[in-house]
Amino acid sequence: MLKVLLKKQLGEIFRSYFYDAKKNRARSKAATAAYIVLFVGLMVGVLGGMFTYLSLAICRPLMAVGMDWLYFALLGGLSVLLGVFGSVFNTFSSLYLAKDNDLLLSMPIPVPVIMASRLLSVYLMGLMYSGVILLPAVIVYWIVGSASVGAIVGSLLLLVLVSIFVLTLSCALGWVVAKVSLKLKNKSFITVLISLVFLGGYYFFYFKAQSMITDLLANAAEYGAKIKGAAYPVYLFGRVGTGDWLAMLAVAAVVLALFGLMWALISRSFLRIATSTGRTARRVYRERAAKCRGTGAALLAREMGRFVSSPNYMLNCGLGVVLLPVCAALLLWKGGVLVQTLNAVFGERASTVPLLLCAAVCMIAGMNDMAAPSVSLEGKSLWLVQSLPIRPWQVLRAKLAVQLLLTEIPALLCVLCLAAVCSLSPAELLTAVLLVLSCGLLLALLGLVLGLKMPNLAWTSEITPIKQSGCVLIALFAGMLYTVLLCVGFFALSGWKLGFAGYTAVFAAATLAVSAGLYLWLRKRGPAVFAAL
Amino acid sequence: MLKIEHLTKTYADKKAVDDLSLHILPGEIYGFIGHNGAGKTTTLRSVVGILQFDSGEIFIDGKSVKADPLACKRETAYIPDNPDLYDYMTGIKYLNFIADIFGVSAADRQVRIREYAGRFDLTDDLAQPIAAYSHGMKQKLAIIAAWLHQPKLIIMDEPFVGLDPKAAHLLKGMMRELCDEGGAIFFSTHVLEVAEKLCDKVAIIKDGRLIRSGTMEEVKGDDSLEEVFLELEDEAC
Repeated sequence: MLKVLLKKQLGEIFRSYFYDAKKNRARSKAATAAYIVLFVGLMVGVLGGMFTYLSLAICRPLMAVGMDWLYFALLGGLSVLLGVFGSVFNTFSSLYLAKDNDLLLSMPIPVPVIMASRLLSVYLMGLMYSGVILLPAVIVYWIVGSASVGAIVGSLLLLVLVSIFVLTLSCALGWVVAKVSLKLKNKSFITVLISLVFLGGYYFFYFKAQSMITDLLANAAEYGAKIKGAAYPVYLFGRVGTGDWLAMLAVAAVVLALFGLMWALISRSFLRIATSTGRTARRVYRERAAKCRGTGAALLAREMGRFVSSPNYMLNCGLGVVLLPVCAALLLWKGGVLVQTLNAVFGERASTVPLLLCAAVCMIAGMNDMAAPSVSLEGKSLWLVQSLPIRPWQVLRAKLAVQLLLTEIPALLCVLCLAAVCSLSPAELLTAVLLVLSCGLLLALLGLVLGLKMPNLAWTSEITPIKQSGCVLIALFAGMLYTVLLCVGFFALSGWKLGFAGYTAVFAAATLAVSAGLYLWLRKRGPAVFAAL
Repeated sequence: MLKIEHLTKTYADKKAVDDLSLHILPGEIYGFIGHNGAGKTTTLRSVVGILQFDSGEIFIDGKSVKADPLACKRETAYIPDNPDLYDYMTGIKYLNFIADIFGVSAADRQVRIREYAGRFDLTDDLAQPIAAYSHGMKQKLAIIAAWLHQPKLIIMDEPFVGLDPKAAHLLKGMMRELCDEGGAIFFSTHVLEVAEKLCDKVAIIKDGRLIRSGTMEEVKGDDSLEEVFLELEDEAC
């Protein structure tokens, strides 16, 4: 039973790898293999490579001062953070908001089995996110440090314990989110707000990490002694990786006890939360004069309504909406110091600093990808827009408009602050604005094209199209790739010789040319593709 | 009002609808009967422009669904078998969205929403998100939305499923009212007693092919519709 349910859960998460929703048939073995290779390449090659580099940088110095445990404590802690961050909302959605909860509960399946199947899929997601840090760390330790039996057993056990701890923490936080969301009004915005606070803390830590690591490596013995004295469980946690049998026993006992506690807690409330309708106090309708809208405005309001109704959608596809104004404010506040520091590093070329800042704005704008999952999010209600007297292009245009409005306005604000801080000339300001706005346009168009080419309308949990679809993944990476290309052209291909205004004008022109191609495809082919979904 | 000529739609290698022709006049309630998978929903979805069909023609009020889909959709309303509406909207927002798309004036929509929501006892719930609605409430909302722009033709797929007896009775009255005013209704149903009492004409479809159609008297004669339907099913086998 559990196997069948788990297969269903995983099948749903990785459905797009095996099934072509557009053609309504299974993918060929070659296409499936290509998708899997791409995914593994991203996880292992990009993320794994990044953390392998980090592990290599800190493993030897820490071992040299006998602080192997601190190495595991650090990377283990980091993997717990990434694992929880990556899976907490997935936990909430797949445990409590899955659309097939009612169906499964009506079948002769014991509730603990349903819960276990959901938790197993959450566990595998958490394992993937935490493993991408800890697995390279363990391998690096075996190569650089020790590969004794104790170390091998200990580090592998640490990997398992971290993944269980990530599951426990994700479930605990998911449970809190579920309990709170049952009682909240405006829960979408409050969930987003709380998440952003978490995210802010996460990024604060992330940006401080480099200096903290440098400081830690320089004073490893001193910090090690302090941590051991003040936070003994962290010391024990780190000792597991080094093969300390006593630490292994103690940490395993605590992690398993916490997991048992979490299981008991969720078992008691799962049924009530999963079957709750999510109703808050009933609002009785009071008639008001209706405001009439045109078709375009009505469709735009519908798309906006869809976006703000879902914390998952806002958090996963609209972070740039918040981060761009924050960056604009930071530029005004600390921009002078930032420019001074960057000038000290890249001082020989005056155009380097504004270009790097422009690239940063483009990268943050690339975090907005609400157009990519918007087609799939139509889901089973797609019949509505298809049966109403509207052109498919009007629907697609509204989807595009949401991303453009929510990206281009804050991005423009950011560029204006950047221009003030960097004292750009009018021509430079013009090309900087053109570059950032064209980047936003390109990414919105690309997201929508990808959404049309890789639709998934048969989801049971909205997290599937929002977070686990190929089009969203590619759209996000396209944003990063754009930034990389912008910098590569400037530094490696001698773009700096054109000056800031010249280079940004050329790059913006190239961006607009690609955008024009995507726009033409959307105008000519997009409506037919949408109508045929 | 609705003319279907030689409609054919194939899924992979299976003909879901095969050379189907029907003619529905203004003022008619036309029932569409057939077993599960007979091709009813495919036909209805083709009429409202959701499905692109392989061959044949569909005309609504003289306009071709293929050549002028928007003009056809403006005259039509559709209620699917499962009312998957926008869960993230409230009932009133959904109705206003539909009214905006069809260009219903503020005054007209206010009067109609008040009237129809009142009839279906849904007024108090209009401020609730649709996600909190039961299946029956969603069905009622879909019916109100369909009537909101006073369409000439209403296409319904199993419209009575999920409705309470009072709402089902109301819907039958509204269907008759619309047809008395010159509109037309084409709907599928498995409830043969309802079809027998309500429909002016009926069509029976099996495996995508029309096996009988005409006025209720022509189709059933002195027998009950159920007897004729079962007999025809057996014959076709």
